[in-house]
Amino acid sequence: MPALNSLNNSPRPLFPRGPGIGVKTLILLFACGCLMAAEVDGDKLEKPRDWISVALSPVVWVSEIPSHLSDISKYFSTRNRLLAENELLKSRQLQLEAQLQKYASLRAENLQIRNLLQASKKLIDHVAVVDIMAANQDPYRQQIALNKGARDGVYRGQAIVDAKGVLGQVIRVLPRTAIALLVTDPDHGIPVEVNRTGLQAIALGQGNGQGLRLSFLPANAEIEQGDLVVSSSLGGRFPAGFPVGRVVKVSHTPGGHFKEAVAMPAAQVGRGRQALLVWSEHPVIDQDQAEDAIAAEAIESGVALEQRPAKPARAAPAP
Amino acid sequence: MSRTPHPTFWLSLLIAFCLQLVPLADAIAALRPLWIPMMLVYWALVEPRVHCFIAAFVMGIALDVHYNTVLGQHTGGLVILVYGMSRLRGIIILFPVWQSTIALIPAWAVYCLLMTLIDTLFRHSADPWLRWTPVLSSALFWPLVFSVMARFARYKAQE
Repeated sequence: MPALNSLNNSPRPLFPRGPGIGVKTLILLFACGCLMAAEVDGDKLEKPRDWISVALSPVVWVSEIPSHLSDISKYFSTRNRLLAENELLKSRQLQLEAQLQKYASLRAENLQIRNLLQASKKLIDHVAVVDIMAANQDPYRQQIALNKGARDGVYRGQAIVDAKGVLGQVIRVLPRTAIALLVTDPDHGIPVEVNRTGLQAIALGQGNGQGLRLSFLPANAEIEQGDLVVSSSLGGRFPAGFPVGRVVKVSHTPGGHFKEAVAMPAAQVGRGRQALLVWSEHPVIDQDQAEDAIAAEAIESGVALEQRPAKPARAAPAP
Repeated sequence: MSRTPHPTFWLSLLIAFCLQLVPLADAIAALRPLWIPMMLVYWALVEPRVHCFIAAFVMGIALDVHYNTVLGQHTGGLVILVYGMSRLRGIIILFPVWQSTIALIPAWAVYCLLMTLIDTLFRHSADPWLRWTPVLSSALFWPLVFSVMARFARYKAQE
């Protein structure tokens, strides 16, 4: 006599009910745990991640169609508006060219002085315009996607600037795109110096719209509201001298050991469609770093030396 | 007995993934509802025959890669969410929509809490208030998602 459930003649499955939901959950959570452990351990999962993000790129492209559609209205701008814009751009260019003349002489002078000081001649690095494809996919992570990738020579750790200042750095390079971390991300730290006084600090991101925090400044540090904060080449990742932000608040708790300052980023974070990728030839080892290295060696060999400023603790992962 | 709607299931998840990725203005980006958790919860409640667990795993990996989070963060959250929903299915499926909207608020909150916890574990701090805005928006969007999906299912059944 046939069993009741053998109405169709298909063979009975080995596990008629399949594993229970508890078992399924446990297996999948175990897999998640393994993945996390592997991630913590190192970069073993970089390759699979890259493959998956390449596989996801069509979906990402589709999901960006609505925002591209809204751009279409720009194609229908009137002649008058274009003319006005043209005027504006021409006058702007004239101004900038005038500034550039001054800059050329300053540059020559700077080179001369550097020669006198026998410092390395590094001034302007090679730059390229890049489109920002997508921004703020996740409000908790300040990242942007760029339309240039490994094929255009983008490398991990590369600095990105916009017209006003340092925007961030590349953290992931795919064949045709790259992902960059903005200076405002809570995970981002950039070595900076105060333009007026040369005070060194690290500017940490604090999340969207909250400015950069310069903490652990000496209690007698000379820094005040309105100071320009520029990037420093300590750490060899960012080109020196690009504006990072302007100090808006300096606070010092009475009796505390450290001062803290907040700077608003100079770059137009979260606005703008384009940015500049900066190619510094190599992570530049400049005079200060060389000295630091010598000092470290000296300390190791037991020679007492004067105390030097600590290295940036949170300056981004090595390339 | 109707056929198991596997194609519809995967298609709806794909649409949810697209909705999750659509660029939003800065001001409202934090209010983006949890589209994929909502879609998975809908299917876990309504249709136990589809492969919700596998889908939760796959979508989670996709989210992790896209958001550049540690692999397993969204994945684990989604798997736990689907497990909870499969467990509570018998209760929640009896509720009318407005009641299920309220009953599911803790589910969204648990998901957000898990994301926050794992982020904290991996030392990625963020504004704590922004963490909880998706709970609100997901609760507001749940009736819409539910009714659209239910209407679609009815339309398919009539065909």
